[in-house]
Amino acid sequence: MRLETRRLLDRAFSSLGLIAIGVMALALVVILTPIIVRGSGAFIFRSTIEHRKVMFDQWDRGNAGRLETAKAEVAAARQPVYDMLAAFNTELDAMPRADRKPYKQSLRDLEKALAGLLGPVPGERTPVLIRQQYGATRWDRTQIKLDDVLTTEEWDYSDPTALGKLVRTPRVEQFRGTKLEPLFPYVEQNIKAMMQPRWTCYWQFLFDTSKDSHIFGGIGPEVLGTIYLTLGAMFFAIPMGVIAAIYLCEYAREGRVISFLRICISTLAGVPSIVFGLFGLAFFLNTIHISDSKSVLAGALTLSLLVLPTVIRASEEAILAVPRAYKEAAMSLGAGRWRTVMTVILPAALPGILTGVVISMGRAAGETAPIIFTAAVSVGRPLLPLEALSQPTPALSWNIYNLCTEHEAVDEIRHVQYGMVFTLVAVVLLLNVFAIIMRARISKKLRG
Amino acid sequence: MSAAIEMKRASSFAGHAEEDFSLHPAHVQTEDFSVFYGNFEAVKKVNCNFPEGMVTAMIGPSGCGKSTLLRAINRMNDLIPSCRAGGTMTFDGENIYRKDIDVVSLRMRVGMVFQKPNVFPKSIYDNIAYGPRLQGIKNRNDLDEIVESSLKQAAIWDEVKDRLTTNALGMSGGQQQRLCLARALAVKPEILLMDEPTSALDPKATTKIEDLIGQLRGQYTIIIVTHNMQQAARVSDLTAFMYEGTLIEFGATRQLFTRPREKQTEDYITGRFG
Amino acid sequence: MKPKAHSPKRSLVMNASTSRLRRLGAFLGQGFLFSVTSLSTLTVFFIFYFIAKDAFPFFKLEGFREFFTSTHWYPSGHPAEFGAMAIFFGTGLVTLGAVAVSVPLGISAAVCLSDVLPFNTRQIVKPVIEILAAIPSVAYGFFALVVFAPLLQNHGGIVLSTGAWLILTPILSLLVIVLGDLLADRFPEALRRKARWICTLTLGAAALTGMMMLGNHLSAIQIASGTNALNVSIILGIMALPTIVSVSEDALQATGRELREGSYALGATRAETIMKTVIPASLSGILAAVILGVMRAIGETMVVWMASGNASRIPEPWYNMLEPVRTLTATIAGDMGEADHVTGSARFHVLFAMAFCLLTFSFVMNLVSESIVRRSRKKLGK
Ligand SMILES: Nc1ncnc2c1ncn2[C@@H]1O[C@H](COP(=O)(O)OP(=O)(O)O)[C@@H](O)[C@H]1O
Ligand SMILES: [Mg+2]
Repeated sequence: MRLETRRLLDRAFSSLGLIAIGVMALALVVILTPIIVRGSGAFIFRSTIEHRKVMFDQWDRGNAGRLETAKAEVAAARQPVYDMLAAFNTELDAMPRADRKPYKQSLRDLEKALAGLLGPVPGERTPVLIRQQYGATRWDRTQIKLDDVLTTEEWDYSDPTALGKLVRTPRVEQFRGTKLEPLFPYVEQNIKAMMQPRWTCYWQFLFDTSKDSHIFGGIGPEVLGTIYLTLGAMFFAIPMGVIAAIYLCEYAREGRVISFLRICISTLAGVPSIVFGLFGLAFFLNTIHISDSKSVLAGALTLSLLVLPTVIRASEEAILAVPRAYKEAAMSLGAGRWRTVMTVILPAALPGILTGVVISMGRAAGETAPIIFTAAVSVGRPLLPLEALSQPTPALSWNIYNLCTEHEAVDEIRHVQYGMVFTLVAVVLLLNVFAIIMRARISKKLRG
Repeated sequence: MSAAIEMKRASSFAGHAEEDFSLHPAHVQTEDFSVFYGNFEAVKKVNCNFPEGMVTAMIGPSGCGKSTLLRAINRMNDLIPSCRAGGTMTFDGENIYRKDIDVVSLRMRVGMVFQKPNVFPKSIYDNIAYGPRLQGIKNRNDLDEIVESSLKQAAIWDEVKDRLTTNALGMSGGQQQRLCLARALAVKPEILLMDEPTSALDPKATTKIEDLIGQLRGQYTIIIVTHNMQQAARVSDLTAFMYEGTLIEFGATRQLFTRPREKQTEDYITGRFG
Repeated sequence: MKPKAHSPKRSLVMNASTSRLRRLGAFLGQGFLFSVTSLSTLTVFFIFYFIAKDAFPFFKLEGFREFFTSTHWYPSGHPAEFGAMAIFFGTGLVTLGAVAVSVPLGISAAVCLSDVLPFNTRQIVKPVIEILAAIPSVAYGFFALVVFAPLLQNHGGIVLSTGAWLILTPILSLLVIVLGDLLADRFPEALRRKARWICTLTLGAAALTGMMMLGNHLSAIQIASGTNALNVSIILGIMALPTIVSVSEDALQATGRELREGSYALGATRAETIMKTVIPASLSGILAAVILGVMRAIGETMVVWMASGNASRIPEPWYNMLEPVRTLTATIAGDMGEADHVTGSARFHVLFAMAFCLLTFSFVMNLVSESIVRRSRKKLGK
């Protein structure tokens, strides 16, 4: 081969590696960007008058006087819509029966779409479900609901060889020549006056309970549940893990028993997380009946087993990194083994142990599979600490799954889903960044 | 660089006449004492007396077992899993390798200073108070007193008295080593073991440590390992020369450096090997 | 002689009762430490025992045959059918896909980290890997389901052909240049320059046409459902990357400088040094890394549950990554919700049987990777 070709290959080889790293960084960016951008939309967004109504009715937030004025303004802007509907109804009544029929279904569809946008017709009986009591609360949802009002969508399956095709037609076509024809341009042009969009920071999203299965409100119970589960898991995992690490590093004599224990630890680290979940179900709930139903306690215990190997390894590493000289100095001053560990080795290893603990916390907070059968429920109220012993809880990780697969109105609550993912990812990343910085400082200290 | 010439200056510094040290009461005594690492015999059947209140230097080429023998005196070798001892070593008349010996009490009576300064990553005060606290001294006044007197004994009090609460790792190497000495003294030991205490220090700091050893002579039995023959000549009353685990010669420093009895000793101090 | 500074002597000899107390204390203390340690490590046996305990009733009730050889999975039917072959197949397919994504990328990145990048850059890249590893699996699953699946479903052809172009362009252009060079070497000296141009150009043109045809073919594809094996494989591949990168980087680093310097001294380029000496020397470590990556992919639940489509059938043809599949973990997660009120039925136990298979597999894989790592460490130590 020519030298140039060899050089070229060499450079190509290096750039292959760089590309791989670039792809990794790109993947990180691609995954995090929508989560961050749309996730922050759960907190900061353009809210409509409907959002303010919800806040006032359900959480007593906002200024009553100003809300009343706004409501009056909005009602005035919406009145023509209802007037036109009423006029159309009179028009219908005057029509011969045969002409009336085709309009009936279209009118019902239109009324439904309008209710989705503006909420129930004023003066009519208030619906039972909270979700039917209000129109679109967010400006982005308003756009979609407006689109529902303005156009109809239909799937066309006429060509059996291809996939179905979506056909969109303006809804106004259905009402050509009637009193309703001007309704559509009116709604389109006056949507701002009818909804009064305004930038809002809904920081209470983090703490509010949800209303009507997450269609309104925040993720308070989930956040609290995740905190309980994580802290609970660490409550069990830290003592066990640190003690095991102390034993393995400072007391155990290398031999068969120890290498056996080490194999156990690495096996434990390799057990799939769903298997931990099944074990938690089979052992904590079905065998020793730690609680009658799923509970935070059972979930925390299961999670603690999951993070145990990480805690042990990190602690071991931190303990082994403590200079031998410290140990010898303490011993030569007459400290026993236990005293040496407690007064010299553990304090010196603490930052390293803490780093591992923080990383494990991130892991415990984000794991879903182990808590599916042991702790998580879809809807619940915030628990008191003592209730955690016997009650299940909603949790961020589980509810992300639940809301984007099993919820009855998946598309309506995208912002809640994104908000949850954003919160969870933010928590985990903050923990990890904290650990990374801490480790950098430790290694700097060790180096110089 | 002849050790013999250096010797003249040193002995005047030490200021003691030649004595028959075998008359002094032995503080630590070994009989056929051996140390093994696994199957490897690092110290071979050593017999010697370390007399009370004297400074004894151990010299010899690297790897000859000096540290091993020194660490045997406060049983630091117990920390090494493969290490075993044979023969007897008595301290104050007790065989310290007997089963019912309390290693913790032993180590409190036998202080040690290591090759590299190994201060704890704690404040200066906590470093010194570490040993006394282990002994159960909690009273703040008592601790203050011990800290002050130990630091004064180690001639470092004036340098650190205004920053006792700062982290000891911020001090210079020489200061750290003197702090280690003060820390060992705070336990009020009878014997001080020093394993090449100046090998990591610059000449100035070395001089300070050597001066300190001179001041502590008489109050403590000091055993110092050094690879530096001049240092041995300067600071010690007695010198032990070891080679490949065997104690070749043991006697008054002056005599060993000027009129060695063994051929190997002579070769070593005149720099013909090692 | 100066007065002695030390306090009254403490006795070296412990009296019998102190000694006994001390020894008892030490024994109890160590015993406590040992029991906590073994308790936490032997949990693994608890897990094995309790999974096996609930798994065996299934095999007793239904036997092995149907479970491993049939593809009919109707656990709630009358009569219930428990053929899990398609599920095993789905697990394998998705894992293979993940390996195909993560192994080339991961090893290239590891090589780059250990041999190409300067120290400071490495310090920046490592946190990226750690963060990639830290993102919760449910967040990956959410991304796969809510962002990636609609993208595949609506713009599948474009995504596929762009992907193909991105992957194949650098590889093919390298191949063309090298092949052109090798071919030209066969010509006599005088003609070589011209021959090189001609060869390279012809090969390049051929490669380009091939690429165009492939691109057209791919962009005509319509993906029926974005939740399919391809989606899951890519996401799982990204999730397995951090493991593969960090473990194989450790293996590459462990080979040491001497080996590299030996090769450089003989006039080898960096690429040759790495390909011909470093990688062969650290092959076992890299293998262990791949095994760990495979374990991560097999054991993952949330991503596959959310984005694999959960169809319990073998795709047509079997390698068709664009069809939905179903995996063991997703089946356990998804079916236990319906099965746990029929605790004790075959429907309940079959999920434990699956978990037992997973557990056994990961245990064996773990032992294999441990022994590989241990053996290679011994070899390097010598
Ligand atoms: N922990 C150990 N394990 C095995 N062998 C050791 C250990 N420490 C020292 N040795 C061996 O014992 C011999 C004496 O070592 P040492 O006492 O440290 O020598 P010195 O201090 O005189 O240089 C050396 O040959 C050394 O290799
Ligand atoms: Mg030594």
